[in-house]
Amino acid sequence: MIDCTKQDGIGVVRVGGAMTAATVDSFREQLADWQEREPEVKNFVVDLESVDFMDSAGLGTLIAALKRISERGGDMKIACLQKKPRMVFEITRAHKVFEIYNSTEDAVRAFA
Amino acid sequence: MIAVLNTSCHCVWAEAIGGPPWSLLPIANRPLVDYWLEMCSDLKLDLVQVMLGEDAKQVEDYIGDGKRWNLRIEYAFARTGEAPCDYLCSIRTRWSDGLLYFGYPFFIRRRQAFRIEGLNGLRPTCYRIDHDPVFIFARGKDEADALLLGEAGSHSGLESVHAQPWIIKDIHSYYDLNMKMVAGEFTRYTTAGFSSGDRSSVGYNVHTPPSSHLQAPILIADDCRFGPMTTVGPNAVVANHVIVDSNSELIDCLVLSDTYIGRNLDIHGKIVAGNRVISPDDGTVIEIDDSWLVARNRPQMRAEDIVRCTILWFVALAVVLIQLIPFWVIYPLVRISRIARFERLTFHDPRTGYIRLPILCKRRNVRSPLFSAFKALSLDRFPLLVLVVRGRLFLCGQPPMRHPEDDEMIKQLPEYYPGVFCYQDYNKESDRLVDSLWYAHIRSLYEDLKILAKSLLSRFLRGGR
Repeated sequence: MIDCTKQDGIGVVRVGGAMTAATVDSFREQLADWQEREPEVKNFVVDLESVDFMDSAGLGTLIAALKRISERGGDMKIACLQKKPRMVFEITRAHKVFEIYNSTEDAVRAFA
Repeated sequence: MIAVLNTSCHCVWAEAIGGPPWSLLPIANRPLVDYWLEMCSDLKLDLVQVMLGEDAKQVEDYIGDGKRWNLRIEYAFARTGEAPCDYLCSIRTRWSDGLLYFGYPFFIRRRQAFRIEGLNGLRPTCYRIDHDPVFIFARGKDEADALLLGEAGSHSGLESVHAQPWIIKDIHSYYDLNMKMVAGEFTRYTTAGFSSGDRSSVGYNVHTPPSSHLQAPILIADDCRFGPMTTVGPNAVVANHVIVDSNSELIDCLVLSDTYIGRNLDIHGKIVAGNRVISPDDGTVIEIDDSWLVARNRPQMRAEDIVRCTILWFVALAVVLIQLIPFWVIYPLVRISRIARFERLTFHDPRTGYIRLPILCKRRNVRSPLFSAFKALSLDRFPLLVLVVRGRLFLCGQPPMRHPEDDEMIKQLPEYYPGVFCYQDYNKESDRLVDSLWYAHIRSLYEDLKILAKSLLSRFLRGGR
């Protein structure tokens, strides 16, 4: 579901497939595992290039992740949001909650 | 003069919207074909031939016998592979007095100076898309022949009567046309019964709680329901049977019939048709399979409902059998102690109008472990559960509505499923009307079992309070 790497001290989370009620548990668990293994990483970029669909459960999970990361003093940015998930972000006003960048590099640079 | 309305053409962009065929797609809440028929009526035509394609039934159901427009309608099925020109040539004998032809989504956009009487001066006119005619107007056989053969006709005929030919060739032009209409142009087409003083138009039976914020220009059709603090407009076309939940904003958008819009959404610059959200800019369509966001309103009764009710009948029977002995043991003690007793109160009933249901009423305001246990075990619902087994109530559903106290609320419910258990049983803060509308929308076996489990557990943990 997700592939986590570290880039300039920033956690880059690449998500694959749809983010729906059926897949968010796996996303949440894998991200939590990686956060435990890399406790020094505070800031994250979630790369949604391969996410072709997202529902309210997917959005809720991203918002929960943002909340958790913010509580630890970090921040989370979204990169490479595709057309269809972007429409879901727009209608749910989630694009006002997240900082969204066109590429992962732009999002990582924004932390500098 | 005869009119031929060709609804059989293939229209790729309209497929993205789903639902109705393109000829019935609404433009400012009126189907496109309604404008065509209105023009036939304005031109005082008598006979209109409607060519039907794959969606024949829906088109025929809408147009019917044409009496609404004072027209005589004939139906014909389009033959596969036959070009519109070929068909028109095959019925040449029928348009000796002239021909009015509409094919493909073609809209006559009226300018400010347009007058219906001006149509009498309309010159022979033909508009085509990819060589196929989409609009022909000819007053005689020779004129029509010439236009069909591709001979020079007027290409500015409509312009000369202050109308603009608008070929709806993609989703963007469809959205654009609707936005132009809602921005004020629809007043040029209004029929009796519409008010347009502030460029807004609200249909019948529209429920708007006090906190809703409606900003003109808007067009809202029948049976719409907006939750509190919903902002609608400017430039919003909301069609029939639409439910908009609390705190959602509909601005610069087109919401088609039978759509549910979830809580706290921002529909801005989009077309929403059932569970589809369409971006008019690039035609991107997403089908959202998530009823918390947008969804198609549920039909009145479906096979799924029958299956659900059947399964829940057995669940109700099981609960009745479990409660039978505790009820007959504890209830006599409750009666003897004169703390509470069942009283028959009048409620609304979806089938018979009214029904008298046994409701436990406390007689004395004293704390009693017996009474608490009775309620904690949900034994106060036992007589209602028996009514479920007798087929008079639903196991889970909307709260039964009192008569006459809830008469206003029942009018606002298109679907009424009085249930023994409802959201209020585990959420005291719930708004009965909103929850009832929500239940009608989301009802499913899973939802009912969730309500049942949560209600029983919540009532047990509250210990009858």
